[in-house]
Parts: sequence; C-alpha cells; structure tokens
Amino acid sequence: MTEVYSIDPLIIKTPYEITYKHSYGKTSKFFTSLSSGKLMTTRCEHCKVTFLPPRADCPNCLRETKWVEISGKGTIHTVTTLYFSGERFLKDLPFQLVYVDLEGVNTLFLTRLKTKDMKKVKVGMKIRMRISKELEWRSSDVWAEPDE
Amino acid sequence: MPKKVAAVAGGLTYFSKARKDKTQEELVAEAARMALFENDINLAKDDIDGTIVSYFSDHFEDQLLFGSIIQDYLGFNPKPSVRIEGGGATGGLAVRDAYAHVASGLLDVAMVIGFEKMSEVNTAKGNEFIALASDTDWDFPIGGFYSGYYALMARRHMEEFGTTEEQMAMVAVKNRNNAQHNKFAQTNPNMNPFAMKDGGKITVDDVLKSPYVSYPLKRLDICLMSDGAAVLILASEEKAKKITDTPVWITGTGAGTDAMRAGDRPRTVGGVPMLPHEKKEWYRKLEYPGVHSFRAGRESARQAYKMANITNPLKQLDVIELHDAYTSSEIQTYEDLGLTKYGQGGKLVEEGVTAIDGDLPVNPSGGLIGAMHAVGGTGVMQAVEMLWQLQGVSGKFHGSDKTQVKNAERGLIHSHAGTGTYVTATIMER
Repeated sequence: MTEVYSIDPLIIKTPYEITYKHSYGKTSKFFTSLSSGKLMTTRCEHCKVTFLPPRADCPNCLRETKWVEISGKGTIHTVTTLYFSGERFLKDLPFQLVYVDLEGVNTLFLTRLKTKDMKKVKVGMKIRMRISKELEWRSSDVWAEPDE
Repeated sequence: MPKKVAAVAGGLTYFSKARKDKTQEELVAEAARMALFENDINLAKDDIDGTIVSYFSDHFEDQLLFGSIIQDYLGFNPKPSVRIEGGGATGGLAVRDAYAHVASGLLDVAMVIGFEKMSEVNTAKGNEFIALASDTDWDFPIGGFYSGYYALMARRHMEEFGTTEEQMAMVAVKNRNNAQHNKFAQTNPNMNPFAMKDGGKITVDDVLKSPYVSYPLKRLDICLMSDGAAVLILASEEKAKKITDTPVWITGTGAGTDAMRAGDRPRTVGGVPMLPHEKKEWYRKLEYPGVHSFRAGRESARQAYKMANITNPLKQLDVIELHDAYTSSEIQTYEDLGLTKYGQGGKLVEEGVTAIDGDLPVNPSGGLIGAMHAVGGTGVMQAVEMLWQLQGVSGKFHGSDKTQVKNAERGLIHSHAGTGTYVTATIMER
C-alpha cells in the first residue's frame, strides 16, 4: 500500500533499500592486517612518499606502491566536535573528528578521536591510533586516542 | 580562435526549503519563462539551439536521466542537450561548458538549466547524500558530514592565521542581510512567499549564539538546502547583438581541481601558485595548500584572470558572487581569489571591503547562506545574478534597488565542489 503524505498537492512516500557488494581491491590488506593488530599502508619507493589511506598506485609516478607497517603515533593537525551529522551517525553524537599527522606518513589522515575529556583536546596534541577488537571492515575500525 | 560569448538573459524561481507546490520540471519552466519573457530580449524559444543541464544528485529524487525529462518538458526535443555534474561546482562547470559550446560554434544560442529539489528526503538524509560526495571508503564511514569537514578546515585556518569566529559571523550577517532585499531568497519572508518563517535580518550576536553544528561552525554559519531552478541564456557575438542592447561578455574562465580527500593534499612550503600582483616572499614559510586553503580555487582564479587580463583583482573587479557554503569558506575564498593575502581574509570582511557598500561587494544576492543552495542551480544562479548586476537591472528583478552595485562593469562568479575538489571562476563584463 502506498503511504500518502498529503492530498493537495498529492505527496506519496516511497521507501528505498539496497545492498552493495563493494570490493576494497588492492587496499584490502589495510583491513585484513587490522585483525593481527597491525597498521599497514603503502609507500612509493620511487617518490619516497607514504600514503594513508593506502593507494595501490602512486599518483605522482603511477608506479605500484609497496606495503609498510606504521607506528600509529602522531599529533592532531586540526579537530572539530560534531553536534549534528548525516542520518546514519546521529546515534553517535556528539563526537570528534581529527586530521592526524602520523609518524612516517606524508598525508594527513581523517579519523575519529575518542577521549573521555573532549575539552582538553587541542591542535598539536599527541595521539596514538587504536584498532577495534570487533572489526566492521570500515575505516571506522581505527581511531585516535590521546597519548599524553 | 574561440568566438566571443555573451550572457543575454536569466531567470530564477523563488527558492525554498521545500517547493511542494511544483515538480522539478515545473520549477525549471518557472525560471525558463522568466529568462525568455522578462529580460527585454529579442529572442524566441525556438531560437535556442541546445541546452546544458546542470544538476548534482540522482539520489534526491530517485530519478536518473532527469535531463531528458527537462528537455522534453521545455519542448526542446530533438535539439542537443548534455548533463553536467561536478558536486557543488555543477552550476559553474555547466556555465563554463555552455561557454565552450558557444565559443566553439557548436551552438549559437545555448540555455543553461540548473536545478535541484532537495526536500523529498529529510535533512539528515540530505546531508548524508551530500556526504556521499566525499570518499565513501575512507572519509564517509567515520561520520561523514560536510559541516564536519569544513569545520576541520576552518579550525586549521584559525590555528594558522588567527581567523576568529566573530569574523566568520560577519560574513553570515552580510550575506543574510543582503538577502533581505532579494525577493528570490529563501531567508527573506517579507518578499518571498516560499521563504522560511524564521528568516529575516540577523546580527553578529545572533550568529555567535546560534547552536554549534560542528565547532567552530554554528547553525547560522552554514548554507541553506533548497528547492529551485536557475536558467541562463548564452549567445555568440553575432546573435547576442541582435538579442539585446546590453550583452554581458564572458571574458575569462578557469577550472581547478584537488584531491577528494583533503588530507591527501600537499603541504608544500612556499607552494602557492602566484597571481600577478603577489610577491613570493609573502608565502615563503606557508605550507600550501594543506587543509586551510583551496588550491583548486586559486588555480581557477589564476586561469580566469590570465584570460581576462586581470592583474589586480581587488581593483579590477566590481562585484563577486562566490560559493559561501560556509562563512569560513567565504573567508578562505577571498584569499584563493587573491583579494587579499593568504591569512588576511577575516580582516577583509571585518574592514567592510566586501559589504554591499564596500569597495568590492561579495554576494549581494545573499549567496548560499542568504539566498539559496539548490546545488545544481547555484552556479547558474550566480551567473544570472552577475548578468543582472552588470546590466544594472538587479533592482527590477530583486524587487529592491538595495542589492544593485552601482556602475558595476566587471564581476567574477565562483563555483566550488566538495572540500575544494572542483572549483570554477568566470569573469563577466558589460
């Protein structure tokens, strides 16, 4: 039965649901390494650049990259606290997002910051990446925590 | 050599959080009718040689190939049509593409049709659809929300340059209050029958006291979500001179790009692409672009200025309509466009330079914060606004003379996607 929302103008409701079978391709190793507690990403030996998120192919020279382990230690480059979000994250509010500058990584990494004291958080603060014990195979399986 | 191209006519709908009274194609017809019948032109609908259709998302209305419905509804079959999509810059890219169609001689008279109807899903779902225009493997799953991404960039801009929440609030006040003299604006309940009820003028204090959405961005620092449409007609020099006595020429256009994930962008010391009036030593120590500046915006401006022979934008431009998705991004964009040095954007608004009575008014329409952001329509709206500004007829269309920048001869429109992934800049002159 079609659900009618209004008569004038006539407005009907149409639900929509879909399941995607999405491949992580050659970056799958980032996720599968998490189950052994390792933070792995890729490095272009030619350009001497380490990328996180990993890229199978270097955007600078288009050579294939190789996997390296990183420490997961770093600092906060910038931070925000969210009080509103997209529909599927409303249940998590409020939460904090950070760009972190990680040891041995040339890019900044966008992740959540989990802390009991959000007010103490500031730019430049030391952090360490943590890995979830219950993997969902999403980028939210890793997050930052204060390390000081 | 490309042919000379002019804007000759434009039309807008009333913008609204929800235009339940009309379908998308009916809204487009409303804007097209204004373009054809209210612009004092010598042009019939049949003189249009083809269309460039500009909309962002297939998700909002669960309709693919919407361009075909529009083409049919406006009675343009079997003439050529193409759909342009590039996130928030969809409209700017469509205007640029229409310019290319006419400049190349493929079309003599082209209609650019921009629209979006965002109200058929709830606001949180709408935000989620917009956030799907971020990397869905990496950036979206951690809590993807564009206000969050922009807040991170704004915070870094504050850290790097000392920009303040008060300066951001001044942008909101400027744009929102400009919109109170534009009858199409969504925040203007006195002139727009479809406006939000709690619109009207605001103060810096109102902005600072509005609830945080994502620190440092508050409710009133953030653009609207809209239903509506904008239509622009472009013509070759030969045709334009027959269509109108007041053609507005497109004299420059540029387009820039940057990484979808802002964290992947370089942080190169002294890496700023320079504009003609700038000095290398200004930025010798600046890591660029990082997440505080939009390299794509800078690159689009650099190309457009070169093409239009602009060597000092603050002096040579009379009016700007730019993509103020956030108050912070308007400040960042002042710098990308070279209106002031990197880091000084906050001071530019503080000094009143970009006010409606300032040296270089920015967003006299009210922009995305005051007037509308119906994504695919936005960049086209800017072009229509700039056409009317340079023709000196803004007052006639807006229903108030207060938005008209006096004696404006040359303007810039700026359209911006993602966290600065695609950006266009286009120069228009009378």
